[in-house]
Amino acid sequence: MSIKIKDLTVTFKNKVTAINHTYLEIPNGVFGLLGENGAGKTTLMRVLTTVLAPTSGTISMDGILYCEENYPKIQRQIGYLPQEIDLYPGLTVQECLEYMGDLAGVPKEECRKRIRYYLEKTSLTEHRKKKMRQLSGGMKRRVGLVQALLNEPEFLIVDEPTTGLDPEERIRIRNLLVDFSENRTVLFSTHVVEDLAATCNQLAVMKKGKFIYTGSMTELVEQAQGHVWYCKVADESEARKMEQKYHVSAKQFVNGELQLKFISPFRPEIECRPCEVTLEDAYIYLSNIRN
Amino acid sequence: MIMTEGKISLPAYKLAYAFCFVVILSLIRGISFSFEIGIAMEAPMAALAMAFCADTYTQEITSKRSEIHRLYPMKRRLASIGLRMVLQEIVLLALSAVGYGMFYGFQHPQYLYIAGQSTESEFQMFLIFLPAMAVTLWFWGILSNLLACLFRNMWVGIGCGIVLWLVTNSTLGEKLLGNWNLFSYTFRNVMDPQSFGWLYGKVLCLLLCAAMTLMTPKIIKKRG
Repeated sequence: MSIKIKDLTVTFKNKVTAINHTYLEIPNGVFGLLGENGAGKTTLMRVLTTVLAPTSGTISMDGILYCEENYPKIQRQIGYLPQEIDLYPGLTVQECLEYMGDLAGVPKEECRKRIRYYLEKTSLTEHRKKKMRQLSGGMKRRVGLVQALLNEPEFLIVDEPTTGLDPEERIRIRNLLVDFSENRTVLFSTHVVEDLAATCNQLAVMKKGKFIYTGSMTELVEQAQGHVWYCKVADESEARKMEQKYHVSAKQFVNGELQLKFISPFRPEIECRPCEVTLEDAYIYLSNIRN
Repeated sequence: MIMTEGKISLPAYKLAYAFCFVVILSLIRGISFSFEIGIAMEAPMAALAMAFCADTYTQEITSKRSEIHRLYPMKRRLASIGLRMVLQEIVLLALSAVGYGMFYGFQHPQYLYIAGQSTESEFQMFLIFLPAMAVTLWFWGILSNLLACLFRNMWVGIGCGIVLWLVTNSTLGEKLLGNWNLFSYTFRNVMDPQSFGWLYGKVLCLLLCAAMTLMTPKIIKKRG
C-alpha cells in the first residue's frame, strides 16, 4: 500500500490555506507525521480519509485516484482514529465495538474474534462490560483505536493515539501499531516525539501547511548534529539570558548546578559541550532554526 | 442491532422528558369532550417529535463520530438512521396512545356517543387518532432530522421546523391550506365524523415524508 500526494492544496471558505501545494509519498510501515498545532496535520488526515475534499491536487492509494466515484473503494481500506472522538456513552465497550464493526460491514463472528484479540492487545478485556462513559480518557482512546482496526484496514490513520495513556500503555499501543503495520500503511500523527522515535523509520514534518522535511528519522537527527549543546549556568537570571539568546530545549538541576540543553546553529562563545541529538532536538532545530 | 440503536437513540433522559411532556400536556390542556383529545394532542406532539428526532444523526456530528461514519458503506449508515427513526417514532406513538388515555384519567371528558350526540364511538375515535398521529409524528420527526442534517445542527433543525409548525398550526394556516393543512386532523370538522376531507392533509404529509426520505441519502452524503 502506498499513498501518493501531488501538489495538494486545501483552502477553507474563510480563505485560510491549511495545506499549500504539498507533495508526499507514504510507503508501507509506520509513517510519522509531526508538526506544531495548526500546521495542517489534521487537515491532511481528513483529506486522506475522504472527510474533506482537496481544493486542488491529487491523491492516489495504490494507483486508485481519490475522486467521488472511487470513494467507496478507498473508504473500505481505511481505518481512522480522529483526534477528538466521543464514542457512544450509553453502550458498553463490547456493544460499541460490535456496533461499529457491524456498520463497517465486518461479519459478526469475525468481528467478535477481532474484538477479543484487540481488547486483549490493548489491555481492555476486563473493561469490556463497562459503559463507555465510565472509562478514563486513556481507555476511551484505546477503544477508539480498536474500532479503527476492526475492519483490518490497509491504510490506518491515527491522530494522537497515545494521548492520555500512561507510559506502559503507550508502549503497548506503539507495539500494536508496529505489528499492525506489517504489509500495511500506518500514518501516525503525534506531538509525542518519543512515540515516533520508537515506531517510525520514515516521517514528515509539517509547518504552516507545508512539509519542511520528509525522509528518514536518522537523516533528520543527523541534520541537527553539532547544533545541540550542554552548558552549566550559575543561576536562574543567567539561564534567562541564555533563553533569550538560544533555543533552550531542556533545563535541570544537576548536583546543585543548573544545566541547560540548547540548540544553536553555530558554536556558542560560552563554555559548553556538544551532546547527543534526540529526535526532539532535531525537530526543534528543523522547525525553529532552519525554517 | 435493534437493541443497540435503541440504546443510542433512546437514552433515559429523552424518554423521561417525553413522558413528562405527555403527562403535563394531559394535565394542563383543558378539554370538555372526548373528541377534543386528538385536537389537543396533535400539534404539541408534533413539536415533541421535532425535538425528539432532531439528534437522530446530528449526535454523530457533535461527538465527531461522523468522521468515522463517513468510512462506512452508505447503505448501512442509512439503515442505521432509518432504524433509529422507526424506534423513536414507535416510542412517540406509544406515548401518544398513553397520553390519550391520560386525558380520560385526569380530565374525565364527556362522551357524546353515549349521550347519543355522535355516531363515532370512543374506540372508533381512538382508531382514527392513532394513524393520524402516526403520520403527524413521522412527518415532523423526519423533517427536523433532515433539517438538522442539512445544517449539521439539531437546534437549527428544530428552529426551522418550529417556523413551519407556527405557520401551519394557526388560523392563517387553517384558512390558507384548508384540508391540505399539515394539521388537518386538528382542524377537521369534529361535528361531522363522516367527513374525511382532512385525509388530504395527511396524504400530503405522507408524500412529503417520501420526498424527505429520498433526500436524506443525498444530504448525508454531501454534508457528512
